[in-house]
Amino acid sequence: MDVIWGVSVDEVAWGGAIAFYLFLAGIAGGAFLTASMTDLFSKKQYPKVIQSGAYIAIVSIIVGLGLLVVDLGRPFSFWKLLLHVNMGSVMSIGVFIVSGFTGLSVVYGVLVWLNAAAQKQIRITSANTEVAATSVGQGLQAFRKPVAGLGILFSIGTATYTGFLLSAVTTNNFWHTPFMGIEGIPFLPILFLVSAISTGLAATLIGALNCGDLTTYKKIDMVLIILEIVLIFILYLSVKPVFFSGSMAVLFWLGVVILGLMSPLLLSIYSLAKHKNVILPVCGMVVIGGFCLRYFVVYTGQLFK
Amino acid sequence: MAKKYSMIINLAKCIGCQACTVACKFQNKVPEGQFRTKTPANGLKGTYPNVSQYFIKEACQMCQKAPCVSVCPTKASYYNEDGVVLIDVDKCVGCKYCMTACPYDARFLNKETGAADKCTFCYELKVSKGEKPACVSTCVGGALMFGDLNDPLSEASQFLAKHKGEVRKPELGTHPNVNYIYEGVVK
Ligand code: SF4
Ligand code: SF4
Repeated sequence: MDVIWGVSVDEVAWGGAIAFYLFLAGIAGGAFLTASMTDLFSKKQYPKVIQSGAYIAIVSIIVGLGLLVVDLGRPFSFWKLLLHVNMGSVMSIGVFIVSGFTGLSVVYGVLVWLNAAAQKQIRITSANTEVAATSVGQGLQAFRKPVAGLGILFSIGTATYTGFLLSAVTTNNFWHTPFMGIEGIPFLPILFLVSAISTGLAATLIGALNCGDLTTYKKIDMVLIILEIVLIFILYLSVKPVFFSGSMAVLFWLGVVILGLMSPLLLSIYSLAKHKNVILPVCGMVVIGGFCLRYFVVYTGQLFK
Repeated sequence: MAKKYSMIINLAKCIGCQACTVACKFQNKVPEGQFRTKTPANGLKGTYPNVSQYFIKEACQMCQKAPCVSVCPTKASYYNEDGVVLIDVDKCVGCKYCMTACPYDARFLNKETGAADKCTFCYELKVSKGEKPACVSTCVGGALMFGDLNDPLSEASQFLAKHKGEVRKPELGTHPNVNYIYEGVVK
């Protein structure tokens, strides 16, 4: 800002790195949820989905945390976040949720990997080693379900946390928007949770392309997209129009609405009717749309007050 | 007794000379291009013969219910024993959460330390030694006043008893300890 004449420049405290972090944390949560739910409820059918989700979760959360640390004013003091706790600060609570999630997703990923490796070995080795390999694997695999179960709680926690982080800023009119005007129920955690599951599922499916019939997943993703459209519509009605103006208008209408929601929805309806395989474009658009959403929310909340 | 330090800014007396801006940079060694306080013009309004213009000093408003303190994950932002909002540079990780929460754009990341920075009312360097903040003692127009509102005899209390002080963005419930006097200026 100009000292004397008060010409303000559009400066935001949280920029692209934070938007990308929120997006990746959402992907990680959604991917973990996809993998662990599949694991718990229909293990045999979709081993590739489980692997894809488990690995994507690890990579996304670790890259996301890396971005977060690099964006700090003092990156080398990040450990102080673990040392000094403020239970009244959403970020402080989030540090522990995300750390727990990261730990669990790494453990889960290793278990999934060991299991996959063991399965492979069974196929290629003689009957003798088959017994040995499975017994070693089996011991550890007993932990897999509890880890998946606990991880589900933490992944939901991580995905909603990204929303609470912003909605807790009571002085920000956009971030603090309540759900349907109900004071006490913030909007963003709900929106970000749905978007996290949708984008995480989409990313997982991209990783498990051509792995049998994924129709069930496609249908779930369609439901999530519709749900998100409803939520975005409610958001649009709940806040002042200025938040959707200027440079943010393009991002919102083109990126979030058309690219991220409408196109994938129409394309998947078409594909279900015509039995065409369009997972890659549909899921690709959902993922990019999810990023646009985070970017839009992070920026518009700070640019217009 | 705990103090309730307050700054009073009498807008009609401010001539926009930026002596406060400069004094603050001297006193607090604020990095190049960054400011703990500044006094920009509040737009030129109206047409002849009713043209108006005033300058409005901006800095941390020393909120008694400070959003920056409640969001800070490490308690680096805190209220000291006299209710002044300060930053413990050693605890600050530079996450900028406080900057997103402050509705007065009072904070910035210090280029040299990487930690959040803002006006301290010159607490450590001046006020705790019984002196006034650097901006107040340097003010050319006599527009700035500083004192303890818990002491009814202080200059600040006396002044506020006679003049109407207003805080910025009262609707946010931050309860600032910086009072603006708009008497004599066209808002
Ligand atoms: S003005 Fe901003 S930095 Fe100062 S106490 Fe209030 S919220 Fe915190
Ligand atoms: S930048 Fe520093 S003072 Fe501000 S919220 Fe983060 S840790 Fe606290």
